[in-house]
Amino acid sequence: MTLNEISPHLVSLQAAPFRVHRHRAMGTEFCLYLEALDQEHAEANERACFQAVFEEIDRVEAAFSRFRASSEISRLNRQAALGPVVTDPEVFRILAETQSIWLKTGGAFDIALGRLSRAWGFAERAPHVPEPEAIAEALSASGMALVALDAEWRTVQFLQPGVELDLGAFAKGYAVDCALEQLRAAGVAGVIDAGHSSIAAVGEPFESQWLIEVRLPPLEEPQDWSDPLSADCAADRVLSAVPLHGRAMASSGIMEQKFEQGGQTFSHLLDARIAPSIAPRLDRGIAPSVNPRKPGSDPARLMLQTTVLAPTSATADALSTALFILGPEEGSAVLSNFENACALWVYQDAAGIGWQHRNWPGEISGLNEGNCSSAFHPQ
Amino acid sequence: MDSLEKRANLANTSAEDGSAAAQGTASLDRREFLGLAAAGLAAAGLGAVALGLEACKSPQSIAASDWVNVGVIGVGSRAQHMMQMLLRVPGVRITGLCDIYPPRLDEGRKVTGQQTTGYADYRKMLEAKDVDAVMVSTPLGLHAEHVIASLESGRPVYGEKSMGRTLDDCNRIREAARRTGKMLQVGLQYTYAPWYVEALNQIRKGNIGQVTQVNSYWHRNNNWRRPVPKGASADLEHLLNWRLYKQWSGGLFAELGSHQINFANTIFGAMPESVMASGGIDFWKDGREIEDNVHAILRYPGGQTLQGSFITTNRLEGAQERIYGTGGSIELTHTDATYYAEPWYPGSAIPPEIQIQHKLVTGPTYSAEQPYHGKGKMPIQGSASDADLASVGAFVDCIRNHKRPLADENAGWSQSVTVALCNRAMKLGSKLTLQEFLASENPAEV
Repeated sequence: MTLNEISPHLVSLQAAPFRVHRHRAMGTEFCLYLEALDQEHAEANERACFQAVFEEIDRVEAAFSRFRASSEISRLNRQAALGPVVTDPEVFRILAETQSIWLKTGGAFDIALGRLSRAWGFAERAPHVPEPEAIAEALSASGMALVALDAEWRTVQFLQPGVELDLGAFAKGYAVDCALEQLRAAGVAGVIDAGHSSIAAVGEPFESQWLIEVRLPPLEEPQDWSDPLSADCAADRVLSAVPLHGRAMASSGIMEQKFEQGGQTFSHLLDARIAPSIAPRLDRGIAPSVNPRKPGSDPARLMLQTTVLAPTSATADALSTALFILGPEEGSAVLSNFENACALWVYQDAAGIGWQHRNWPGEISGLNEGNCSSAFHPQ
Repeated sequence: MDSLEKRANLANTSAEDGSAAAQGTASLDRREFLGLAAAGLAAAGLGAVALGLEACKSPQSIAASDWVNVGVIGVGSRAQHMMQMLLRVPGVRITGLCDIYPPRLDEGRKVTGQQTTGYADYRKMLEAKDVDAVMVSTPLGLHAEHVIASLESGRPVYGEKSMGRTLDDCNRIREAARRTGKMLQVGLQYTYAPWYVEALNQIRKGNIGQVTQVNSYWHRNNNWRRPVPKGASADLEHLLNWRLYKQWSGGLFAELGSHQINFANTIFGAMPESVMASGGIDFWKDGREIEDNVHAILRYPGGQTLQGSFITTNRLEGAQERIYGTGGSIELTHTDATYYAEPWYPGSAIPPEIQIQHKLVTGPTYSAEQPYHGKGKMPIQGSASDADLASVGAFVDCIRNHKRPLADENAGWSQSVTVALCNRAMKLGSKLTLQEFLASENPAEV
């Protein structure tokens, strides 16, 4: 068995022996690939290892999930508009980190969009395009600018009633980071893959000898399965395979949680800088206005996927979200604010599907840079 | 809404207003006599109070004299979690960390976010001037030594459950608390969980009739082991996995059963008069010394029964307890409470008052003797609060305002002696009365 048979996003070029364990948490499935332990550290310790990893993921979820009424994030959401609320050092540190990334990304990454997400129905998993008034109302209580953090007293305060924190994928990435610490402490090598969107590893051979694949997102149902070219559009194709070398990988894509209304396709990734959703459209040949405030970007471009390598899984997750919203031009500039991070954008424009990257460490194949390979041209 | 219907629908209680706390009815005399936690509801504030508007109190406004500096003895995973909870309470600092395993001190400093002073010897920490209160979260077999020394140092103590491993430990801890007059709160955090408090209120009001039985489950599916670093000695393995070894652990009755046993004692207003128990190492035959499944039937003086089952090989039931009354049931979990009405039928045990309510309320109906698989009502909304946070919030509140905690040494004694009784009954393999156990010739043994 290779990793590729288990997870479509992982591939092993060196068939090191490993064991896989799965755990559902944070609305997704966490897969843990553990090095096969020698006899001395056989079953009992392997079990202890994956239990510790999954317990750690559950611990992070219990503190950071906005879906749990008993979580610290929920408590802050209930109380922080009433006055400064003292929180524990870990939660404060994470909120301060998200604030720093919010600043460095010019607001493209923002965890205080819970209200806006609710207006779009993403919170209730019933997405719809809200009325303009509802968007305006939600925006008045959205954004990290409304969240005051006081490091001296470790307090969190909302400057407007109705602000809601939602750490989203950042919490998932942070759970991966914390879970890796458990493996590190136990001295065991392994990979953690959170729902195929956040991947990180610790120890040889997983960090450097194993390659992680980035695939072209499946676009849409092929019109004709018997037509190989059409079917190719739907198949997720390998764009690049890179070793992690101590970094974490995260991807954001349009295919997750997208919805259609009025002939338009909308993404769940919200851009509070301009208001609603980034509202990308999948209509071919039409030039959707992805982000009217982005003078440098090509208005005809539809972002499909961003993949980021960064020192931590949480940062990688934050960046993949922000860079999806920003696009390659603005995104490349933002990326220079982050050490040891790189990104790969995949998009669709009038010419077809193309990609751009910044500091990407591996070869990219299957598509032409900046333009579309005819083999993938979705005509 | 009709007033009867109102009563049938267990009232909504805000997790933050702590109103449930004010409704406790039992007298202090009874509390003194039985040593039970819930009887003190009226006498002491709940953590929920401290964590409602109090939690929004600006820390700048807390007087320097009201800041509480806590030293922690035993900095394992449970302690690290509880330290986080303590640090969410305005006006609390962690000023000392004590553990004989050095990596734990580093982990503890990660939680505090500071270079908190570390100690290998708890006696040194108890000499420190910057420690006002102590949290004891060491292996159970060490509770007595650490809790007693901390009380004798003149500090209030938050001692993790179970209070003591043996009858002798429990007696000595209770005696030390009484002798020193220092406050001891035992880590029975569900005492402070708003949905437990509200369930208790409803039970006491008679809203589920007469409670005849409690079934409690704490079912897990794991080997209960912690990862051990490569090359660790057997001693270190015993230390990290202390729950699996007799010297330190009270087994599943103590580590899982304590909370549910405590709640049954509270509901029935007494300790069990006799216990039958069984268990064994039947699946995880990996060198552990404590049972991987235990079961007990506890008979209470009022003719009620607690049936407790604590296992490590299946988690369908999870952690839950069901309170069965003649007029209804309440199911309690770590996050919520659910109420089920008993449908009235001729000749059933439902009290007349509840019968009237049921004519007014459309509740779940049972078909003949088939088990009920439908939904219950969840009017006891408690999950908006974390039980651990409420518990440490109450601890700090009691220190500042010189109150007695609900989960005091008497509640802890009642609960942990019941656990020890279960363990002794399991060891004997026969029915054991509380009276026989209290007169035991070997109180220092499990």
